[in-house]
Amino acid sequence: MTILPPFPPDPMPLREALRGLRHVMRRGGESLRDTVPVGSLPEPAQAIAGAVLREVGQIARSVDLVASGLAKRVLGGTAPAAPPLGDGAGGEAAFAAAAYAALRAALRRIGAAETFISEVAARSAYRALGSAGGREAARLGADLTLCLIAARVVREADAAPDARLPGPAIAPVAVFAVVLWMLADRAEHDGEAALDAAIDLSIAIAADIRAAAQAGDAARLTALFAEFADHV
Amino acid sequence: MSEPAAPVPVLHIEALPRSNEPVHVAVRRMRWFRQALRRYLDRLEGELGCRFEIDDGKVAGIFVRWLRAVEAQKPLDPMARRSFFEFAAGLMLREMTGDMPLRATGPATAADPHGAAAFWPEGYACTMFCIAVTSAAMAQEFDAAPALRPSIRDLRIWWSFRENAAEDPRVSIAFLDLILGRDPDWAMPEVFSHRMARELAAAARAAEIRS
Repeated sequence: MTILPPFPPDPMPLREALRGLRHVMRRGGESLRDTVPVGSLPEPAQAIAGAVLREVGQIARSVDLVASGLAKRVLGGTAPAAPPLGDGAGGEAAFAAAAYAALRAALRRIGAAETFISEVAARSAYRALGSAGGREAARLGADLTLCLIAARVVREADAAPDARLPGPAIAPVAVFAVVLWMLADRAEHDGEAALDAAIDLSIAIAADIRAAAQAGDAARLTALFAEFADHV
Repeated sequence: MSEPAAPVPVLHIEALPRSNEPVHVAVRRMRWFRQALRRYLDRLEGELGCRFEIDDGKVAGIFVRWLRAVEAQKPLDPMARRSFFEFAAGLMLREMTGDMPLRATGPATAADPHGAAAFWPEGYACTMFCIAVTSAAMAQEFDAAPALRPSIRDLRIWWSFRENAAEDPRVSIAFLDLILGRDPDWAMPEVFSHRMARELAAAARAAEIRS
């Protein structure tokens, strides 16, 4: 007789662990290649170092493939679909999954695709937000943005050399863009174009967002959401 | 013998995307604005024989600055609405010429070699886009739209427009008025209240002459 656990296991921490592993392996391989100046070593050290790096690279790629495959299987589809904000019980997981997928798209568009995103932290941030409690949508968006930033949903930004924003602006702008997209009025088929538009709008007002986020200024963030939510 | 006059350009309003919302509302949504610009340029590329590259980051910056400028000067008086629609097109053109988001990847080989499109493809495309959007919006709201005047073919205007806008993008608003056959406000083209004061003064003068 099969004994079922009283509660189904929570797949989110497992997904997170696999993504973390994938992230570390990808970054590890890259930083090793960047840091070890194989070309400048004398022979035979150059040949030995080259062989070691190739070996490490192969291990990294294998682990990356396994982690990616597992993460995808556990995660399912990653197309961003925004849940309604302030939707209490049962909304946490949907919110965290949507936030993860949308943040991935945002970071890719900004030029920081390799940045680590924590779905578990997104869930915690959503819990910390509490119920909508009569808050206006723009205020709810501002509070959620600050919760997501405080929970470090976007970990240290890994910007490409041609990224559209400087490193410290990436996390607050990506988070703001995703919340703006969630607040925006749009048709279902229009979700992707709306997300791209929200990201580009947010990049255009990056200085405002960064200043407000740094100061933890919910009123200023509320004003920005109120100004732009209808214009995505 | 003088050269034949270039034909008056076609506006291609039909190239703008359809929307469930009125154009004046849709244009204030980033995704419609961007899609409209892309589709409009697709149409112009066929007509002019050149391709345009769009800088999405610049388009977003233009859109935000335009939106803020429009919101800052939006009149409360409903009688001023029509004039504000025309003015808003000038504000959009000011933002575009101030931070040109287009780059023609080659000469406009299919355009009239003596016309504005061949002389300044990017400026021509932005100007026609702004006119097309405002025409579509005004046709819906007022059942009337600004007509393209023969002055749009005058290359001297475009020469001057390009040269002056490079130094001061605000003059784009006045040049758009000139191209559309309106009396341009060279002193404070970017101030709507100044434009309205001039329009009221002109209307009062006309009434005085009639009486």
